[in-house]
Amino acid sequence: MNRSILADMLGEEYEILEAENGVEAVSALQKHRMEIDLVLLDIVMPEMDGFEVLTVMNRNNWIEDVPVIMISAETAPAHVERAYNLGVTDFITRPFNALVVHRRVVNTTLLYAKQKKLVSMVADQIYEKERQNTLMIDILSHIVEFRNGESGQHVLHIRTLTELFLQRLSLKTDRYQLTPVDINLICIASALHDVGKIGIASEVLNKPGRLTNEEFAIMKTHTTIGSDMMDAAPVHGSEPLIRVARDICRWHHERWDGRGYPDGLKGDDIPISAQIVALADVYDALTSPRVYKPAFPHEKAVDMILNGECGCFNPLLLEILQEAAAQLPEYMQGSGDHARAAQMEMRSVAQEMHHYEELSASERTLQLLEHERMKYSFFAAMSQEIQFEYTVNPPIVTLNTWGANRLGLKETVMDPLHNAKVDAIINPGSLEGLIKALRSTTPAQPIVKYECKTLHEGEERWCRIIARATWSADEPPQYTGAIGKAVDIHDSQMKLAALERLASHDTLTGLLNHASAKKEIVHRLECSPDRQFAMVIFDLDYFKNANNTYGHIFGDNVLKFLADRLQESIRGGDIAARVGGDEFLLFLEYGGELEPVVSRIYHAISGSKFEEFPISLSMGVARTDAVGTDYETLFHAADQALYKVKRSGRGAFAFYDESMVNMLSVISPIDGGHHEEGENKQ
Amino acid sequence: MTLQECYAAMGGDYQGVMGRLSSERMVQKFVLKFLNDGSYDLLLRSMEEENYAEAFRAAHTIKGVCQNLDFTTLYQSSSQLSEALRNGLSPEAPALVEQVKADYTKTVAAIQAFQESIGA
Repeated sequence: MNRSILADMLGEEYEILEAENGVEAVSALQKHRMEIDLVLLDIVMPEMDGFEVLTVMNRNNWIEDVPVIMISAETAPAHVERAYNLGVTDFITRPFNALVVHRRVVNTTLLYAKQKKLVSMVADQIYEKERQNTLMIDILSHIVEFRNGESGQHVLHIRTLTELFLQRLSLKTDRYQLTPVDINLICIASALHDVGKIGIASEVLNKPGRLTNEEFAIMKTHTTIGSDMMDAAPVHGSEPLIRVARDICRWHHERWDGRGYPDGLKGDDIPISAQIVALADVYDALTSPRVYKPAFPHEKAVDMILNGECGCFNPLLLEILQEAAAQLPEYMQGSGDHARAAQMEMRSVAQEMHHYEELSASERTLQLLEHERMKYSFFAAMSQEIQFEYTVNPPIVTLNTWGANRLGLKETVMDPLHNAKVDAIINPGSLEGLIKALRSTTPAQPIVKYECKTLHEGEERWCRIIARATWSADEPPQYTGAIGKAVDIHDSQMKLAALERLASHDTLTGLLNHASAKKEIVHRLECSPDRQFAMVIFDLDYFKNANNTYGHIFGDNVLKFLADRLQESIRGGDIAARVGGDEFLLFLEYGGELEPVVSRIYHAISGSKFEEFPISLSMGVARTDAVGTDYETLFHAADQALYKVKRSGRGAFAFYDESMVNMLSVISPIDGGHHEEGENKQ
Repeated sequence: MTLQECYAAMGGDYQGVMGRLSSERMVQKFVLKFLNDGSYDLLLRSMEEENYAEAFRAAHTIKGVCQNLDFTTLYQSSSQLSEALRNGLSPEAPALVEQVKADYTKTVAAIQAFQESIGA
């Protein structure tokens, strides 16, 4: 109600987003921060109070561009002070006066709007100035090259190489204390390294043959001429760019061993900027055609430098050259394209800016962003899937509307890892597993696929979560959260399970089939080779009679009956399978005497009747302690014992022993004998 | 019954609220809206459930609304109550709840009488 009084006071001039509590406020800020001009914040609120909201705003630096006016009945000075310390712009105490509230809101929004506009103007100006600076330096150095008869690519190459070397150097060591600002300055100034050549007579500069000693002495002066030009730069002599450019002009022909010119500096007395440009200059000179030499291939150029054929360099820089060698040609290739593209872009951006003076670059970015957001929310609303965004700090999950409805959660959930409603949907173990999987991704491979059970309206359902962990741009990158979606795969998962079951079971009896029983038995034999197991193979005596007398449907029912009796008489851990027409297999573990166990199972089935048909079994048993744990051996032994029973008149069981070694087999193809007995297996 | 008489009946400050919100239409709108505010029910329920943090917030909300609308009598008792609940239940809270009940009943009766008289 207090909110609606306020909303009424501000009237229709403003678009008002109301938040019922701190959590909603944070969520609204997260979603609409760029559009929010002002926050009116209470202190006492459910879920999350005003100070907590301010803390979150500070942690995310939102407080810097979203002004907050605190309105509260809390007038204690401690509260007011704490609010100001947390960065609120104004503090209004209740009861509020309509006029005062209105005026302060107007003032604050105007102030911030002006500030935002200024920030954006300054950013655009700096951007523009930077481009113009670079452009001027490019023009200047091109003049030199033009006079020199070179392609104009040299300056670009030097800048590209200088940047590459500097970046690698700053990763490798902090000996030179290179900041990004320094690197940028050195790269820009590198273009000016040969600017002194403007003062060299063109007969010397462009002489096709070898220079005489006198001519070479003149040529060398381009270093000092360049540095003098920089020293003489009016007004701006103390600019960092000029100072860096001076160092580079003067010392880019110095060598690590002190044998360069003009000053014969040694080692790290040569500024690192000049050392790097020197290396870049030599590499580019080697790989480019000159009036006095063809272009050398990249590998040869690197070898020549590493072998010291082009003067002595800082060993650290040689190391860098060696490491970067593989990627250099591609990188240089890119630099040309990149530079052309940059120039094109520069032209079109400049034109654009003139066309739409009121539309600044940062505003355009905002519009693009807004468009992307619209696209995203449209597609999110269309697709019937749960989409989420998770941030570690503050710990919040934001769901798309469809997903929130489906899960029965709010669109914004604070602290989802400690939330009873979330726990009721996905069990904490699975959630932890997901978080762990996300945390162990890398920025290069951030995608996680995770399947787990979820609870939907009291029903367990399988669900697949595909998520992409988000990593910050810091060095080293920080895990900041994830975006992703969850799809219900329960129906397809169940179909798969049913298919698996179908494939591993006998359709008539519901027992395992031979192949899957074998797989399971081999697995158990391998896992526990020291335990005692028995393999039992049996078949139904005179089964063919049942088929012939009563028909195949009756025969099938006999087999089903037998399978049911079998399952009732074995223990849960035993394996029962139908391995062929009327042949069955049992695999069991035993502790003490085996004989009573087999006898019990045998008599539970054999001797009963299915309708008019008497059930009689012949059964052969083989034990792992007698024949070992190889599946085939075990199976063959049981088979031989079964054969023995058949031979001795059926209707009994027998254990395999050494005397049966040469027995024929019932099932194995080596035997043809049993067919005579009318026990043909289909 | 006029709005001014309604304020007199409940022990409110008509001059004060008109000075701040300046529009009789707006004051009337929110005075009538007060009847639908759920904070009072929330207060009683929370007290019953011994959820004193929630009760504190409810009392605090009543206090804020009364302050904005210059319902002076109810403002005073709800303000004292919210202080008595700020750090959980204090010995004086139960008596203050009774006081708030009485003041609330009186305030609501006045508003309802006003509502009937304007036929809203």
